[in-house]
Amino acid sequence: MLLDFERIWPSVPYILEGVQVTLAYTGVSLCLGFVWGMLLALFKVSHINFLRWFASFYTSVFRGTPLLLQLILIYFATPQLTGYTISIWEAGILTFTLNSGAYVSEHIRAGINGVDKGQREAALSLGVSYPLLMKDIILPQAIRLILPSLVNEGIDLLKESSLISVIGGADILRRANIVASEKYLYFEPLLIAGFLYYILVMILTGAALLLEKKLKTT
Amino acid sequence: MIFLEKIHKSFGTHEVLKGISGNIPQGEVVAIIGPSGSGKSTLLRSINLLEVPTSGKVYIDGVCINEGRIDIEKIRAKVGMVFQQFNLFPHMTTLENVIYAPLKVKKIPRKEAEMIGLNLLEKVGLKEKANTYPPHLSGGQKQRAAIARALAMEPEAILFDEPTSALDPEVVKEVLNVIKGLAHTGITMVIVTHEMGFAREVADRVWFLDEGCLVEDSPRQSFFASPQTKRAQEFLEKVL
Repeated sequence: MLLDFERIWPSVPYILEGVQVTLAYTGVSLCLGFVWGMLLALFKVSHINFLRWFASFYTSVFRGTPLLLQLILIYFATPQLTGYTISIWEAGILTFTLNSGAYVSEHIRAGINGVDKGQREAALSLGVSYPLLMKDIILPQAIRLILPSLVNEGIDLLKESSLISVIGGADILRRANIVASEKYLYFEPLLIAGFLYYILVMILTGAALLLEKKLKTT
Repeated sequence: MIFLEKIHKSFGTHEVLKGISGNIPQGEVVAIIGPSGSGKSTLLRSINLLEVPTSGKVYIDGVCINEGRIDIEKIRAKVGMVFQQFNLFPHMTTLENVIYAPLKVKKIPRKEAEMIGLNLLEKVGLKEKANTYPPHLSGGQKQRAAIARALAMEPEAILFDEPTSALDPEVVKEVLNVIKGLAHTGITMVIVTHEMGFAREVADRVWFLDEGCLVEDSPRQSFFASPQTKRAQEFLEKVL
């Protein structure tokens, strides 16, 4: 038998604990990234040239460089620049938030542009101010339009969060690696890690489908 | 109440409005008619600055609204608008559509706003649809809801931009009847319409536009009985 799961069986709970860690990185970064992405999207549709320029430059930088590079840079360069010793958790959350914000902002901008022009005119004709127009009329409809792409963003982030293992974050992948080097068995723990990621992604996908169906009926 | 002074509007090199001036006193009903592309809708949309004129002045209640520092939101709250495509907010119920602006712009307490909203919906025959979302309303119902929404701000004037053009023929009348019911209740109305019968019945004055010019500005009776200009005569011969 080439695969020997028996020997790593006692380590499975240890790997499973990584699910929490992976979900924590993903969940927190996704929420913060959504808020940041929304702000960037508002910059992108604003009338202020500087804000528009800043947001698109920002997006191009974070989409134009590898996420792993951003992560390592933030983790190792922050202490050098500021003297502040950044923890793995802080570096991970900061990087994933800044990065997903860039992607989310593009989705939201597309969503805002996808809302019928008449909605804006109707609200303006009622004397609604620009902030209220965005908050109550445009964004709720834009978010609804782009919900599927936001879920995809979440799925991407869930998988990309495994990069945290490179700087030592104890997520699913890192734990699988630790077990592997302890037992000199590589295939089995990594297979388990892969299986866990797959299950998580499938659950997210299923939830997204349900949500979409529900939105369609209301 | 509404006073326009030499309104010009160009889109790029295309001049849509070529210097239109006119006066609409409080409570008057004006129908704007004319061939497609004559600038009717652009003129109407200039009144609440959905289109900002390239030059010229728009006065509402004696205040020039397209010059200097003006609280345009306050002006717009006084001038309601009803659109060809209804433009109801699809993520709010009919009642929420109607009370949104009173709640958020006028900051009326919710209880009071809901009472006003339900009364208006009753007035346009939609009380039982208060909790329905717009996608589940028919075209005629949508437009009546949109009228209720405009009325909820208690505007001094309402602008109607081809309010029945997107409707099925059999529901045009129910919407026209609602609009008719508003005429001569003190509210100023400006209606861009292709419904000549309706203009003839409801309007006090008719503005006839052609190629961006206000060709004729006459009381309803004389316009339909004996239009002054050749272009208006030709137009009426075609449509009547």
